[in-house]
Amino acid sequence: MPHRRTTRHRLAAVAAVLPIAGLAVGCSTTSGGDGDSSAFTVASPYAVQSLDPYGSAGAAIGTQLADQAIFNRLVKADANGQLGPDLAESWTPDADATTWTFTLRQGVKFSDGSAFDAADVVSSFERFTGGKNPNAGSFTGITATAAADGTVAFDAPAPDPALPGKLTLFFVTASETPAEFPAKPVGTGPFTVANFTPGEVLEMTPNASHFDGAPKLERLVFRQIPEISSRMTALANNEIQATWGVPDDQVAGLSGNADVHVETVASTSVYTMWFNSGRESLADAAVRKALWQAVDFGTIISSLYPQTGQLSDSVLAPAVFGHAPQPPVAYDPDAAKKALEEAGFDFSKPLEIQFSGAEYRQFVEAVAADLNKVGVKAEPAEKESAVFLEDLLGMKWDINFQSLSTPSFDAATNLGRLYPCSAKRTGYCNPELDELLTKAGSTADTAERETLYAQASQIIWDDAVGMYPMQVKIAYAWRSNVQGLAASPTYLPDFSKVTLS
Amino acid sequence: MTVAEELAVTAPRVRRPRLLRWIPMGVIALYVLVAVFGPVFVDYDPVATPLADRLLPPGSATSSGTALLGTDALGRDVFAQVVYGARTSITIAVLTVSVAALVGLTVGIVAGYTGGLVDAFLSRSVDVLLAFPGIVLAIVVAGLFDRSLAVVVLALALTGWIAFARLTRGSALSLRERDWVAAARVMGVSWRRIMTRHILPFVAGPVVALATIEFGLVVLSEAGLSFLGIGLPPSTVSWGKTIAGGRDYLATAWWISTFPGIALALLVVSVGLLGDQFNALFRGRGRAGAANTRRG
Repeated sequence: MPHRRTTRHRLAAVAAVLPIAGLAVGCSTTSGGDGDSSAFTVASPYAVQSLDPYGSAGAAIGTQLADQAIFNRLVKADANGQLGPDLAESWTPDADATTWTFTLRQGVKFSDGSAFDAADVVSSFERFTGGKNPNAGSFTGITATAAADGTVAFDAPAPDPALPGKLTLFFVTASETPAEFPAKPVGTGPFTVANFTPGEVLEMTPNASHFDGAPKLERLVFRQIPEISSRMTALANNEIQATWGVPDDQVAGLSGNADVHVETVASTSVYTMWFNSGRESLADAAVRKALWQAVDFGTIISSLYPQTGQLSDSVLAPAVFGHAPQPPVAYDPDAAKKALEEAGFDFSKPLEIQFSGAEYRQFVEAVAADLNKVGVKAEPAEKESAVFLEDLLGMKWDINFQSLSTPSFDAATNLGRLYPCSAKRTGYCNPELDELLTKAGSTADTAERETLYAQASQIIWDDAVGMYPMQVKIAYAWRSNVQGLAASPTYLPDFSKVTLS
Repeated sequence: MTVAEELAVTAPRVRRPRLLRWIPMGVIALYVLVAVFGPVFVDYDPVATPLADRLLPPGSATSSGTALLGTDALGRDVFAQVVYGARTSITIAVLTVSVAALVGLTVGIVAGYTGGLVDAFLSRSVDVLLAFPGIVLAIVVAGLFDRSLAVVVLALALTGWIAFARLTRGSALSLRERDWVAAARVMGVSWRRIMTRHILPFVAGPVVALATIEFGLVVLSEAGLSFLGIGLPPSTVSWGKTIAGGRDYLATAWWISTFPGIALALLVVSVGLLGDQFNALFRGRGRAGAANTRRG
C-alpha cells in the first residue's frame, strides 16, 4: 500500500524507482487507453478549484474555463480580441461613454427552465462587484440598472470606454442563486455540472435548452493532471482528447504522433520582468536599459521556446487594443557593461529575480546566466505563489518575472491599472505617463485612445520600467478525431461546438 | 555427506561474503574521493546556461568538451552535476549527522545517567518530537527560511538527533549500574568524568553504526527536499534538483534523471549495507566475523 508507507520509505522508493522509471519510460510503447467514446476529456494546465465566478478564485483561469462552459457573459472576445455578442445582442455608449446600454438576447432560458432577464444581470453584477473576485477592482463605482424595456444600463462615475472589454470577465448567473455558491449551479451556458471534485475532476453534460443549440458532446470532462509528462502520456494513450499550454520540449515529441494535432495561437501574454525602480540601484533608466541589453533574449527564446515564443515588440501583445510596436532592444553585453560602469552600478550587490512556477525556471535561470556574464550578480528566486504575490504587492523584490496577460484585450487593464504612480506596482513614477494614462482612460474616442496608449507604451519601453522580452503563444494539442475545437488566446477554449468522429 | 565434504562445500561460502563486505566500503570511499577531488578535475559553473548544448545525449560533443552523461534542459553537463552533487550530498550528510550525533549523544547520556526528573523531561520531549514525521518537519523548517546549506542541515538535524538520544539513553541506563561505574562513583570521580571516561566509550560503537544508517537517510532526505524545490539555493548543485529537472524529459532525455538517480541509489544502498555490517559487528561485541556467524 503506497500510502501506508512512511515518508522515509517513500523517499527511498522515489530514489530507487527514478532511474528505473527513466529507463522504462524511455523504451515504453504507447498502448490504447480506455475507449469511452462518448466522453470528451480534456486536461487544462490550470486546476478548477471553484465554480464560483464571484469568489476569490473567480479570476483564476481554471474557474473561468469552467464558468465559460456553465454560464454566459454579456459579451465575449474572439481569438483576435474582437468583441462579439453573448447574452447581450448589442451595446451602445452615450456621448461621453459614462453610460453603456446593453440590449439582451430574447428567449434565453436557464438550465432549470426559468427565463433569463435583465434582473439576473443586475443581481449578478451586484454580487460580482461586491464579491471577492480580484477582477471586481476594475469596476469600482460602476452600477447596473435594469430598464423597463429589458435593457441593462451600466453607469460609470467617469468615462469608461473600455467597459465592454472588461465585461468579458463577468459571468451572469440566475438571481435565485443562493448565497452559498451551489456545487451544481444553474446557468445559461452550453453545459451543466454533473459531478465536481475541486482540483481533480469536473464532469458536465449538455444543456439541452442552451440558446445556441445543445452541444453534440454527450459528456465533457475536465481532468486535472498536474505533471506535464503524465499529461502527454494521457494524450498519447487517448485517456484525454485535448490539452493545452504544452511546453515546447513536449511539442517536439507530439509532432511525431499522427493521431495528435498540434496548433499554436498567439496569446495576450507578454513575459514581463519589472525592475523595482524604488531600489536605489535600479532607479536610473540607463541602468535598467543596460541590464536589458545584457541579456541575449533572441537566443534564449529560440532555444527554449522555438514554437511558443517570439521576441516581443511592445509592452502589450499585438492582439491587445493599444499595442504599438517599439524599436527592438539589441543584445550588446559590452555596451551594457560599459553603460553600467558609467552609471556607477554596484556590481557587488546581488539582484534577485523573483518568479513563481516551475515552467518559468529555465527561462529565468538563462536570464540570470546572461546577467552574470556581464558581472551582475543575478540570482533566480523561485517563490511559492502566495508568498510571491505578497512580495510582489509589498514591493519586496529587485526584478520580478511574470507572464502578464490582458484578458480584456484592452490596454486599460494593464497599462492603466499597473503603471500610474498611484498603483505603486513597479516603483516607477512619471507624471507625464500618469497624465497620458488618465487621459486615455477617460476618452471615448477610439483613435485618440490608441494614440495615447502608443505614447504611454513608448515611455514605458524607453525608460525600461521592465524588460518585455517575449510574446507567448499557447500550444494546443488534440486527438485527430476531435472536430470544431478552436485554440483560444486566453487559455479558455470553447467546447460547445466540439464533435468527436 | 562427511564432515570433510561439508567443510569443503561451505568453506568458500564463508570466504566470499568476507570479500563482498568490502564492496560497500569501496563504493563509499569512491564517492568520498569524487566529492573531495572531483571538482578539482571537473569544471562546472552552475549559473551558466550554454543553451546551444541543451538536451544532448550521453557522449555528445559540446561547446566545452564532451558530455559523458549528456546535458540537461539548459545545456549543463550531467556528469559534472553528478560529481558536484556528490560533494553537496556528502557535505550535508556529514554535517547533519555530526550535529545530530553530538546533540543526541549529549541528551541521551545526560538523561540515561542522571535519571529521575531530568530523564523524564528529556525522554518525554524526545517522544513528542518522535511523533512528528521527520521529513514534514524538515519541509516546514526549510520553507520558513531563505535557501541555504545551513538551513538544510538544521532542518534535517532537527529530527535526526532523536534516534541518537534514544540509543544512548538506553545504553547509559544499563551502564550506570555496572560495577566499574559504581566503583568510580564511590571513589568520588566527578560525574562529568564518569560520563566521558566510563560511559561514552561503551556507547561509541552503536552510535557509529547508527550514524552510518542516518547518513544514508540524510542523503535521501536532502535529495527529497531538493527534488521538491525546497532548501538549497539555485547555485548549489544537488542530485535531487537534477532528478527533478529531468522529470519532464523522462521520455525524451532519460539521462538527466537516470544518472543522478543511479548515483543516489548506489550511495544510499552502500551506506545501508555498511551500517548493517557495523550493527552486526557491535552487537557481536567486536568479534570479527560476527555478522556471518550470526546469520549462520
